[in-house]
Amino acid sequence: MSIFIQQIFNGLTVGGIYALIALGYTMVYGVMRLINFAHGDLCILGAFIGLTLLSSAIGSEQPGPAMLALAFVVAIIVVAVAGLVLELVAYRPLRKADRLAAVVSALGASILIENGIMLIWGPNVHVFPAGLLPQTTWYVAGAAITFVQVMIILASLVLMAALYLFVHHTRFGTAIRAAAIDQDTARLMGINVSRVIASVFIIGPALGAIGGLFIGVYYREAYFTMGWTYGLYAFIAAILGGIGNIPGAMLGGVLLGLFNAFAAGYVSSSWQDAITFGLLIAILLVRPTGLLGERVAEKV
Amino acid sequence: MTRPLILAAAALAMLGVVPAAAAPPIKIGVQVPITGTYANEGQGIERAVKLLADEQNAKGGLLGRQIQVITCDDEGEASQAAICARQLTNDYVVAVIGSYTSGAALAAEPIYARADVIQTSDGTSDQLLQRGYKTWFGNAPPNSAEAEFTAHYLVDVRHFGKIAVLTDHSAFATGLADAVIADAKADKGNVVEKAFVNAGSQNFTPVLTELKAHAPGVIYFSGYYSDGGLIRAQMDQLGIKTAFVGGDANQNVAFAKIAGPAAAGSIIINVPAPEDLPYPAAKQFVAAFKAKYGAPPPSVYSLTNADGMRAVMLAIQDTKSTNPAKLENYLHHLKDFQGLTGTFSWNDRGERIGSPFVAFAVEADGSYKILYPEPKGS
Repeated sequence: MSIFIQQIFNGLTVGGIYALIALGYTMVYGVMRLINFAHGDLCILGAFIGLTLLSSAIGSEQPGPAMLALAFVVAIIVVAVAGLVLELVAYRPLRKADRLAAVVSALGASILIENGIMLIWGPNVHVFPAGLLPQTTWYVAGAAITFVQVMIILASLVLMAALYLFVHHTRFGTAIRAAAIDQDTARLMGINVSRVIASVFIIGPALGAIGGLFIGVYYREAYFTMGWTYGLYAFIAAILGGIGNIPGAMLGGVLLGLFNAFAAGYVSSSWQDAITFGLLIAILLVRPTGLLGERVAEKV
Repeated sequence: MTRPLILAAAALAMLGVVPAAAAPPIKIGVQVPITGTYANEGQGIERAVKLLADEQNAKGGLLGRQIQVITCDDEGEASQAAICARQLTNDYVVAVIGSYTSGAALAAEPIYARADVIQTSDGTSDQLLQRGYKTWFGNAPPNSAEAEFTAHYLVDVRHFGKIAVLTDHSAFATGLADAVIADAKADKGNVVEKAFVNAGSQNFTPVLTELKAHAPGVIYFSGYYSDGGLIRAQMDQLGIKTAFVGGDANQNVAFAKIAGPAAAGSIIINVPAPEDLPYPAAKQFVAAFKAKYGAPPPSVYSLTNADGMRAVMLAIQDTKSTNPAKLENYLHHLKDFQGLTGTFSWNDRGERIGSPFVAFAVEADGSYKILYPEPKGS
């Protein structure tokens, strides 16, 4: 039993991170019908920005929670601006172009950001400073859960709930949903669609930056190709939940984390990924639009 | 004619010896990559051999003769290695140190064998042993030595009851893991599980949680340091008190940084870096190397080849001869040679018997402390 609970904690932590990153994929897809392949790399950019701040503080004093909070704020701002610039440079000129052109542009942007990170920070593994957060561990029925894990799980849940409320209970959220259904009609209703698109390119990367920095704080390491790994998992989480659907991305991320934990724990660690993705294929065969991707009329 | 020469000629005339027999130096060849990809390693070997020759010459040389080192650059390439081998044999060298790569050593091996010239190299390919040449003396451990040492350490030294083996999917790590499992079973060790991680996936808690259920006495990880450090940290996070032993690819300064507070007490098995060799002779050699060249030896292979050179010098001294057959016979029967990289001897195929591997613990400050074999005389 303790092992079962332990695997749930294991799965929830990484699932929460997947979900935060998956939200960026799903929001952009909902409004623009575009997979932003550069999203994973933007998230890791957040991890590196935070790392730089935390490491630079080491000389003066041991960075603590206050410094970490500052790192989060700066990483969110920098990555949100990067997301906005990405939209202006890589996607806006192609909005009327063929769908394939935007996909190629997205892949190009991904390679550009990944290699940019490598050129600035170098190709080796970077290590986050220790002791940023309390090293407390709680034991629940024999299963260990650390302070960082609790923080990641709770923060992901709060952020996802906040996003859900924002999209469903504010005027601007309504505008986003309207643009997602039909951009032309939304324009006729006086909605500035360009502003809506810009906003999803701010909100998605901002959440992604938090996810990226969570990875850094939890695993305490960062390297430039990480964006591809996490981007792939988060993208799959978005599809699993039903791409374009916000609660779907949350559900998909958490399920993917749990699948992975249980595949490794109860079947075979050598087949971990094969089992996880086999399960994904099985679900998509039964529900081609993903778990919550039913209401095609109202995506986001 | 200057005065010293006249004196020398007069002295020789009085002794009544043939001048040619007393004067000529003992020639030792060095066949290594001085240029190309492995230039750094090759130059390290050349410097090590020259350092030993200089030290011996300062003490009066061997058998009253000076040692002359002749270097040939084989660029680490088989084609160039054959040319070097012919050049050096034409120079009548007694022995050749090198080469660094197995490929270059293989190409040169038959040429030295036919010319009856001793060849001592860090080449580890099994093919080097299969031809049965009497002139071949490998000075580095074969590829299988790490697994043998690891199994011996886990089973016979530490007596771990249940051994869990963890590997990534790379050819290197699975090969090492499989060899360790086979050797541990041969040593009557109890390997309870072999599990996999995806290198770079970072989330190793699921597989570690599963391993925890088997309550192993030790988790052995054959993959790389970036994953190894995280595995160590996540073991701590999950409250797994089991010992952690990592393969040679875990030796990197980043291992301790990634593992953080969990790093202390982790054990890594590898050939020690030149500076970490515990033997007094090795410490002295590394210090002399640094003093002469301003930098430490580039890798332990400078020292394994230096061991080849030291063994050849010892053979010449003890047999009082440069006769190839006598030297080869002496080296094949040399027991417990005190090398810079540990004690070893050669079997009749010229394979190095005696592993330079050590098990060392990572200390809290990230430095290493050798646990086994226990350092002697330091």
